[in-house]
Amino acid sequence: MSESSKSKSSLNLNPSPTLQCKNLHEYLKSRTPQFLETLYNYPTICLAVYRELPELARHFVIRLLFVEQPVPQAVVASWVSQTHAKEQSKACEALSELSVWQEAPIPGGLPGWMLAQSFKKNLKVALLGGGRPWSMSSSLEPDGKARDIAFLDAYALERWECVLHYMVGSAQTEGISADAVRILLHAGLMTRDAEDGSAVITKAGFQFLLLSTAKQVWLFLQHYLHTAEKRSLSAAECLAFLYQLSFSTLGKDYSTEGMSNNMLVFLQHLREFGLVYQRKRKAGRFYPTRLALNITCVGEGSAGPLLSSGQARGHLVLETNYRVYAYTQSSLQVALLGLFTDLLYRFPNLVVGVLTRESVRQALRGGITADQIIHYLEQHSHPQMLKSESGGIRATSVLPPTVVDQIRLWEAERNRFTYTEGVVYNQFLSQADFTALRDYARAAGVLTWQSERTRTALVTRAGHDDVKRFWKRYNKT
Amino acid sequence: MVNVMKGVLVECDPAMKQFLLHLDETLALGRKFILQDLDETHLFISSDIVETLQARVDDLMDQLSIPVHDKGL
Repeated sequence: MSESSKSKSSLNLNPSPTLQCKNLHEYLKSRTPQFLETLYNYPTICLAVYRELPELARHFVIRLLFVEQPVPQAVVASWVSQTHAKEQSKACEALSELSVWQEAPIPGGLPGWMLAQSFKKNLKVALLGGGRPWSMSSSLEPDGKARDIAFLDAYALERWECVLHYMVGSAQTEGISADAVRILLHAGLMTRDAEDGSAVITKAGFQFLLLSTAKQVWLFLQHYLHTAEKRSLSAAECLAFLYQLSFSTLGKDYSTEGMSNNMLVFLQHLREFGLVYQRKRKAGRFYPTRLALNITCVGEGSAGPLLSSGQARGHLVLETNYRVYAYTQSSLQVALLGLFTDLLYRFPNLVVGVLTRESVRQALRGGITADQIIHYLEQHSHPQMLKSESGGIRATSVLPPTVVDQIRLWEAERNRFTYTEGVVYNQFLSQADFTALRDYARAAGVLTWQSERTRTALVTRAGHDDVKRFWKRYNKT
Repeated sequence: MVNVMKGVLVECDPAMKQFLLHLDETLALGRKFILQDLDETHLFISSDIVETLQARVDDLMDQLSIPVHDKGL
């Protein structure tokens, strides 16, 4: 039943597929321990993982780093006072999830913790130095045509927007490589049109467009790594290189000397997406851009500078009459705005649109959530919006509360119903029978609704088999 | 003997439930689809009707809504 019920329950009952954007921790958690084991052979990864750990976990790691034998779990627990047991268990969980430490028995039978060998070795290398020098650190002649930070930012933005442009299908763009298209398809952000085989954007793709740039890049790279194996690249090696990049300095050039062939291929891909700049394929040097440097700060609070100051400034003014004024020339920004507004006028540097019920519902139907729209508007609001007062109400948001509420209402209106597939049990002969079945279903966590008066119980589709078996057993006794 | 039925549980506000009952009674979707009336806010309906029903409810919402702003001149 399991397979058929799965395909059936994908019947689009509550259509709210949201795009998952994992951070490094969650991404690594979802990988196999073997993969992590290979990853920990790279000092850069060890350092990145260490930096992402909860504070308490970092403390544990440092205390254990130079201990060459397992430490009893009780001793680790004694480092933290009882009042913070919750933080402690969270830290321990994080360390186990990422296979940073493993359980190891201590002579005498006590359970103990021991840092993973490769992690321990390479974190020491990262912190104290030693090991092989980074391949990209070999010295270079000064670049005759050195590039400054402003140039790199503009370049990164242009390359990345190329990918986004391709997704929204604006005509004016140069194409992107087949590899990039394959990644978009693999990520489910685009899909092949049934008729002419051209790539068209999916619901997830729309949500992707509304994410912040850092998140977009990271999500894209995650899928790149998934497909990396097929291109005979090692995902671990690529990830290690990415993190090496993230520890580099903006505006400095690095040498490609000593990089393996695989990594040179990878570098060309990164170049296409704007994560590194190279004047010529064979230039022998490259500049990492802000996109590459920001991979490490994908976490929630990463409102940090996504791109250079000129770009980070917003361009949207939203008025209480639902009008949106966008001071932009980028056709990408216009296309994005067009996802959820009716565009009225277009001037050389200004686009005027209006949020209507229809336009917002159009977006909601496309799988975009009200929160994503509001977040996007907020993130890109014009500095002028910060100054204006919203009628004496100092809301937490810079947007007019009326509009924000209305967008949420438009969303809520679509969700007046919740549908759950299930199975009804009724016409019980006795109250005792009913209670027995209901209590069993409740204990199993599959009861969705019940009424004692009418002796009716509703269990989820998934729990039906189990409850049915219970009922047969119950009847025999 | 216990009776077992498969279907979809619908949870909604009382007003919307009355709307569904109305659709059921008037055969607006071509047939009856409510398997069991559970309580004020819960109904049990047949699962193959869900998509038609969603479209129908969307229609109702369209009729109910009035544009709150002028479309710009």
